[in-house]
Amino acid sequence: MPRAMVVLRRLLRSQQAGLLLIIAALMITLAIAAGSHVDESTGATVNNFFNSYTLIQTATDASFIAIMAVGATVVIISGGIDLSVGSVYALAGVVMGLALRNSSGGPGAVWLGLLICVAIGLAAGAVNGAMVVGLRVHPFIITLGSMWILRGIAFVTSKAESIMLPESLAHFAKAPLGLGTALYPVPMLGMLAVAALGALYLERTVMGRHVFAVGGNAEASRYSGLRLGRIQVGVYVLAGGTAGLAAFLGASFYGSVSCGDATGYELYVIASAVVGGARLSGGRGSAINAMLGAVLIVLIRQSIRTLHLDQNYEWIIIGCAIVVAVVLDQASARFAARRLAEGGRRER
Amino acid sequence: MRNARFEGPARAVRAIGRVALAALVMAGCHQPASQAPPPAPSASEPAHPAQKPIRIAMIAKSSTNPVFLSARRGAETAARDLSGKIGVPIEIVWLTPPVEDGQIQAQRIAQAVNEGANAVLVSCSDAGKLTGAIDDAVARGVPVMTFDSDAPKSKRFAYYGIDDFRVGEQVMEELSKLLDGKGKVAILAGNQNAPNLRRRVDGIKAEAAKSKGIQIVGTFYHNETPQDAAAEVIRVNNAYPGIKGWAMAGGWALYTKTLLTDLDPKKIKLVAVDALPPELPYVEKGLAPVLLAQSSYLWGNVAVTKIIDKLFYKKDVPEIIPMDPARVTIDSLGSWARQLRQWGFPDVPEEYLKLK
Repeated sequence: MPRAMVVLRRLLRSQQAGLLLIIAALMITLAIAAGSHVDESTGATVNNFFNSYTLIQTATDASFIAIMAVGATVVIISGGIDLSVGSVYALAGVVMGLALRNSSGGPGAVWLGLLICVAIGLAAGAVNGAMVVGLRVHPFIITLGSMWILRGIAFVTSKAESIMLPESLAHFAKAPLGLGTALYPVPMLGMLAVAALGALYLERTVMGRHVFAVGGNAEASRYSGLRLGRIQVGVYVLAGGTAGLAAFLGASFYGSVSCGDATGYELYVIASAVVGGARLSGGRGSAINAMLGAVLIVLIRQSIRTLHLDQNYEWIIIGCAIVVAVVLDQASARFAARRLAEGGRRER
Repeated sequence: MRNARFEGPARAVRAIGRVALAALVMAGCHQPASQAPPPAPSASEPAHPAQKPIRIAMIAKSSTNPVFLSARRGAETAARDLSGKIGVPIEIVWLTPPVEDGQIQAQRIAQAVNEGANAVLVSCSDAGKLTGAIDDAVARGVPVMTFDSDAPKSKRFAYYGIDDFRVGEQVMEELSKLLDGKGKVAILAGNQNAPNLRRRVDGIKAEAAKSKGIQIVGTFYHNETPQDAAAEVIRVNNAYPGIKGWAMAGGWALYTKTLLTDLDPKKIKLVAVDALPPELPYVEKGLAPVLLAQSSYLWGNVAVTKIIDKLFYKKDVPEIIPMDPARVTIDSLGSWARQLRQWGFPDVPEEYLKLK
């Protein structure tokens, strides 16, 4: 078989093939249907969707959700759920805003902000994990509670004010990196880096395989000597850390923080993981797919506007996409299992 | 271990299914009349077949709030009228998110610029979040105007709306008169993150501080939905039985009917900002003898006119264009009701239209 065919077959069999195909199809549809406008400054005709500004903006919009979705996917693979990521995002941002309120800015403020956000995220994740393991209460309940508690702490500490951040943070998050005016690739690069690190962690480290093992069969993992409690706390710490990182990037990009930030984003995050193929009962999921899931959801949202469809349908469309994606996913899993069983019988 | 041989086809099936889903769902979404592009000009209107349209992206705080739907109606009417006058088609592109979210608004400003909008008109849910996005749009040559809720530190060329601090003072002045300058008063404050509402609350408190007999029992925030607001009023009334008046930074609670029966107009008085059709029975029953109405229709109507002044006529537009609230009482109920109907509100009670 020619080498190109082998590569193509490998690509088609890869975990990401399906989502990449959908994203590509949607992008092509949008590029064709979006129409164009004349750029006033250059006089050039610009496609309304397929231009560098819209593409990077779409990736930026997806990046904050995607970064959180990578952490949330690790939790879901372990058989847990984390509903508090939006509140962790808000709290991390607010604490950073308060800490940097009187800062003179500069690179020191950027590093301090990053440190604070990630530290708050890790701490919130550790508390979530410790409560899930220590209290033996379902993580849905624990993280539902912490979702309100953390948002409440953000509310009380910020006194519900919108806090402006030092300019240096916006300079960092909106660095054009040589691409030109109003093109800001830093959040997108952050998303790609987190997804790559998440994939490495899940697929190439022993700890990552342990997460799959615990989510696939907790009892079997226990009997084989895995320390379930430590692994469970670890996944929540990771989810908190990614929420903290997303908060840092998001807050720096938009230049201010408030206790209402990322309200309801936990649902987009979980939806991204699920559309990316994560199984809510645990044992399956992928960091790259979670990122692609977030990109797909943001693309669907974008398409509603680019195609000038009625925006009041946004929630219906996203809701339908999630339900159908999961139903199709389960159907294909059953199909694969049946084929596997038939193959086994034939071999015998 | 899962069998990779079967995973490839299964994923392909999934992929095709998902694409089909997206296509089906999107194809199923009809554009209602209000979302459709402006109608083709009739015989009486001038046609502009070769003219490049002026596209104004309108981003209000939330598409579920009736005041912003009224603002949209005002903007679309102005666009239609001006379009005929200047001979250039004007399109209003409605990019308002379904719920208030400053981050989403910032994303939509960027999207509007990317898609070639000639101007952006925005009511800021969070001025801090939007300042950067507004400045980016201006840097790319797209002028931005704010209405209702401003981003004063941004590079927007103009703001049209009420002076929120002053309106807050007016609410308290009216309530103080109704209570003869004494009594316990609660403040209904809406979303704690909205800068315009915070300024109204500051105004209410500043005015209350001038009156020795007025005691503020607290400032109460809530989700800006009618049910949440009304529930908050009832909860607070139960917790503070001596409350004589409510100073409301917005009219959310009065969009329900529940307070008409739960509160006794002889014992308690309300003064609120806004006077939309569902709030008018509160004026009639004497529970809210005064409402300070923002002419939400004019937000869109005047703002579009100012944008065209700047873009087309190249006129200088003042940076702050003040809007004076209308004082709605039982005496002006009829004329206000007719004004609302004229602005396109379909649900104005008929009996008020017949009043003098």
